[in-house]
Amino acid sequence: MFDGFFEKLYTIYIENSAYTLLIDGLKNTLIIASIAVIIGIVLGAFVAVFKVIPRNNIFAKLLNGIASVYITVIRGTPVMVQLLLAYYGIFASSFRGNPNKALIIAILVFGINSSAYVAEIIRGGILSIDRGQMEAGRSLGLNYPSTMIKIILPQAIKNILPALGNEFIVMIKETSVAGFITVFDLTRATRAIVSDYYTAFVPYLTLAAIYLLLVLFATFLLNRLEKRLRKSDH
Amino acid sequence: MITENNLIEVRDLKKSFGKTEVLKGIDAEIKKGEVVVIIGPSGSGKSTFLRTLNLLEDPTGGKIYFEGVDITDPKTDINLHRQKMGMVFQQFNLFPHMTVMKNMTIAPVKLKKATKKEAEARAMTLLKRVGLDDKAEAYPSQLSGGQKQRAAIVRALCMQPDVMLFDEPTSALDPEMVGEVLDVIKALANDGMTMAVVTHEMGFAREVADRVLFIDQGIIMEQGTPEEVFGNPKSPRLKDFLSKVL
Repeated sequence: MFDGFFEKLYTIYIENSAYTLLIDGLKNTLIIASIAVIIGIVLGAFVAVFKVIPRNNIFAKLLNGIASVYITVIRGTPVMVQLLLAYYGIFASSFRGNPNKALIIAILVFGINSSAYVAEIIRGGILSIDRGQMEAGRSLGLNYPSTMIKIILPQAIKNILPALGNEFIVMIKETSVAGFITVFDLTRATRAIVSDYYTAFVPYLTLAAIYLLLVLFATFLLNRLEKRLRKSDH
Repeated sequence: MITENNLIEVRDLKKSFGKTEVLKGIDAEIKKGEVVVIIGPSGSGKSTFLRTLNLLEDPTGGKIYFEGVDITDPKTDINLHRQKMGMVFQQFNLFPHMTVMKNMTIAPVKLKKATKKEAEARAMTLLKRVGLDDKAEAYPSQLSGGQKQRAAIVRALCMQPDVMLFDEPTSALDPEMVGEVLDVIKALANDGMTMAVVTHEMGFAREVADRVLFIDQGIIMEQGTPEEVFGNPKSPRLKDFLSKVL
């Protein structure tokens, strides 16, 4: 099986310059994953806060209801289906003539999809913070949003960083289905190479190795970030 | 009726948690410059009473006037009034992700009570007074319990409040650290700060209180000067309570 593995690798990627396809694919994979993770965290933080605000008026109850439905629907359907629905349905006639249409939709879908999971992670993080922190902030005269943003969320995020990191890693790998809506990501680039060279093993193994490297690199960055945020607990 | 020199006036205050009625109609007032110490058995409602004064607990009934304004009125902006009511908690509740200095300055700066520079200067003066100026750049986790509580007191003072509310400020401390925190509170009292203190430290109550409130079963059973309350208790409940704690 491994006979001539490196020769094949060399022939395909270097001699015939297929590495340029991989680089294009890698670029799109990274764009989707990195922007979507930011969308996921920002959107997820809002949804999480909507879920934890005290339900003492109709407006708060409404936000809470919307957030619950949002999380249920997004988590209850496969990201692949969401992609197809967005590309061929909801946004079928949007972004007309934009060469990056598929990429934009993929970013949005992965961002929104991730936000539902992130919301639940952040909600758990918020609930893990002692309620004395909220009381101390409020007792100083800070309003609810300020206390949430300045005091509760920074602590919550620090506590849930491992879970958020996991979400990012899942996201990197999940983007491999973006090819189904014509996005030229790593996986789709490799599929193109497979059909160009009538060989599957070498390209797919290479693909697997690249995802693994990406995940290792992401893990390394997350560990460094975690260490920096742990500065305050000695 | 609101009297001029009453900083806080409480009328028929009631609070229930579900079916449990914790406060059953409390009438009280705190005058400017007065030190009111609140004592009572655990579960009597004394902490709840203190926490309703800045609406950390929403009263179920009755009125609270702070500087003449009915703060139980939903139209009142409670955040504005809380800026003038400092609160110190049993569990300190310092913000662990910020340095001591940032803990001191976050509220005054965020609420535009002072520029960052002014707030830091004031915080430093106050920290010095409680012997914590060398801890300004430390994180709360690096402080002892007594230091944490002293820092928490300074944090509340940085807002330049008109009244300080202390909710069992020494109950979570190791015995050897109680003194240093009580000393800070005493010094504040001597400076003329208006305050309400819930405490189990009877010696402290006797020493600093202008007036002692004995709360039991959700009402003020008895009140008076420390001499009256400790020296000549009238109700059997207070006598019973004092016999257990003194």
